[in-house]
Amino acid sequence: MSKHEQQLSEYIDRLNAEQKPIEHDTISESVEIEELYSTVKRIRSLKEPAEPNSDYEKMLVQQVENELSRQKRLPRKKGMLFTGIASIAAILAILFNMFSPFTNSDIVNAMEVAFDDVKAYHGFLEIIATNANEESTTQARLEVWANRDGHYVVKGLEGINQDIVTGNNGKTKWQVNPNEKQIHRFPAFPDTYHFAFELGHEIKEVTNALSTKVIGDDTVIGRKASIVEVTPRGGQPYRIWIDKETKLPLQKQTAMHNALQYTITFTDIDFNETIPEELLSYQVPKGYQEVESSPEQIVNSLNEIPSAIGYIPEMPKTIPEGYDQNYMTIIPNQGLVKIYYTSQHNDNKLVFIQGHAISPITPVRTATLGKVNGNVAEIQSPVYEDVGILGGGGLYAGMTDVSSIRWQQDGFEYVVIGNGALKELAAFVNSLTNDAFEMQSTAKNSGTTPQFDVPYDMTVEENTQKSVDAGSSPWRLDPVAVAQVFVSLQISPDGIIGDSPIDLQDFNILAQSDAEAILEVSSNQTPITTIYLKRLIRPDSTGIWTVVGYD
Amino acid sequence: MPQINREDIPASSVEEICHATWKPLYRFIYYKVQNREEAEEITQETFVKAIPYLRKGKIHPDKYSGFLKTVALNVLRDRWRKKKRRGINVDIETIHPEVSAVGDATEMSVERIIIEKALSQLQKEQQTVIELRIIKGYSVAETAEIMDKTEVNIRVMQHRALQSLAKILKTVN
Repeated sequence: MSKHEQQLSEYIDRLNAEQKPIEHDTISESVEIEELYSTVKRIRSLKEPAEPNSDYEKMLVQQVENELSRQKRLPRKKGMLFTGIASIAAILAILFNMFSPFTNSDIVNAMEVAFDDVKAYHGFLEIIATNANEESTTQARLEVWANRDGHYVVKGLEGINQDIVTGNNGKTKWQVNPNEKQIHRFPAFPDTYHFAFELGHEIKEVTNALSTKVIGDDTVIGRKASIVEVTPRGGQPYRIWIDKETKLPLQKQTAMHNALQYTITFTDIDFNETIPEELLSYQVPKGYQEVESSPEQIVNSLNEIPSAIGYIPEMPKTIPEGYDQNYMTIIPNQGLVKIYYTSQHNDNKLVFIQGHAISPITPVRTATLGKVNGNVAEIQSPVYEDVGILGGGGLYAGMTDVSSIRWQQDGFEYVVIGNGALKELAAFVNSLTNDAFEMQSTAKNSGTTPQFDVPYDMTVEENTQKSVDAGSSPWRLDPVAVAQVFVSLQISPDGIIGDSPIDLQDFNILAQSDAEAILEVSSNQTPITTIYLKRLIRPDSTGIWTVVGYD
Repeated sequence: MPQINREDIPASSVEEICHATWKPLYRFIYYKVQNREEAEEITQETFVKAIPYLRKGKIHPDKYSGFLKTVALNVLRDRWRKKKRRGINVDIETIHPEVSAVGDATEMSVERIIIEKALSQLQKEQQTVIELRIIKGYSVAETAEIMDKTEVNIRVMQHRALQSLAKILKTVN
């Protein structure tokens, strides 16, 4: 049975249960399946519509009245916005009717609207861990400052990071350790960890969730809150408490993973115009040793660059569409120039790196290939190996959400690296190179379908994805590792003892897109020559790979 | 549908407007989305958008129903456009023709004839699987039992039947 047959059947089941199918809100992967969904609906229209519940009319009137009443109050908002540092909470209390019940869609909208007015905030977070025996311990208490641009400063008040201050102002990330009198400096991007319960991130997660459901009311730190159960696109459902007054998240409770559940609460929060400048600027405190983990130096203009690195860097004629240029850095001892961009669409970060080509490009074995003006382009998604100038000034390899495209031209090497989807990077490179970049299409490259299909069970795949989302089996995110395990199990069906009979070096990626990958196997240990993989659950760098066929 | 006279209903009465119009509006939306959960949600959203206009008295109560259906269609279109913006590569509006959501009985019966004719062109087993699964709403397991097939067979059969139907309906459209 194919994936579409299963999806279609589940779609019919949802409609039969009078529930909204997920497909009505999400992107379908093919025109054909959309046509089939439409056909199901047309056939269903032969039936009489299902009647709503008996109290629907009453609820409808009440909800419409509440919503209209809320909208009527909104115009007051502009006139009452405060200036300077002040709490937004009191203002929002006037704007919204705190006693109005939420519907599922209202609550997400209300959070987004409320967060639109938040420029920066300051609060205290408490993180409590609860084990399977319901024994709770305070794991940490933090003081946080954060703003809409993703900049933040966090100070550990209690727990293992007590007294340690971590900050990221978009140009530099740093960590001050008073116990050792040291300040460590890191690149601002990629930043693998911000802080738990960052409001912008939480609201984005809820907005992108598969579903949200108001499951009750509660009081958190003396404030009335609605409890919302959020089912994310991957991972277990979790709960979030939304302040009825400010319409912003107050508390989050994760699902139980490995017999531990975390409850993160803002024990105090207020809203401000900015993060105080003295907190957000990188400074080495008196008497502290600076530990330089980032050799990058920020430059203010192009004029400063040639004298430092010996050449005039290539600059995009215009900033690629959909991006904002943030800043430029140089790494003098490596002769590299890095230009940082942020995507306007989704805040993804992109870095354009350039430097002298030291040796011809030898693509890493896990890379796919493309071309820029006829020159080989190495595409890694995710980045497995820092090669050439790719490792310049940042640790990118091994981070599952980072992809790169590297090429050489006229004695120079160029890399675009970022945490967006590969096609976003490809569009960016095309913009930089005047459409000279060509990425191999998986379908075009394969030309054929597998000789042998490998069956899979979507329920198992979904559960595996959830488990990987929770941090287990990270190898499922690596197509080469998945292929290696598959081929090895064909050789030793009872399991692999010791080293795998097939080495990673025996696999070569022939083609790879966000959703599909084709690997060549060059080993005399197996008759398998080609492996076909798909990301069945999520076609992005966080999606697991599954073998769907082989030759 | 109950007749609404301007004199009878104060312009500000949400309850009266909802009471008089929600049923045909709900049915109209249901034809589009074919599930209760979504139909209830969109009916509410339609009233929230439409009532401020209705209260201004610019629309005669006789035309409330037509106006509400227009607003409902706009709500549905907004949702589809939003889905398209998020990457869908199919024009949903062209494959969800207005005819599938008509409130008018004549047009509905035309649509019914088209679908029934298309269904009659399927093989007998395919017709049965569509009838059991989609029109009567049986589960895969129940359908498998009734038709003496495996569940996998039923899923494969309904997929093929729908592919054939989609093809036939496309030709008719």
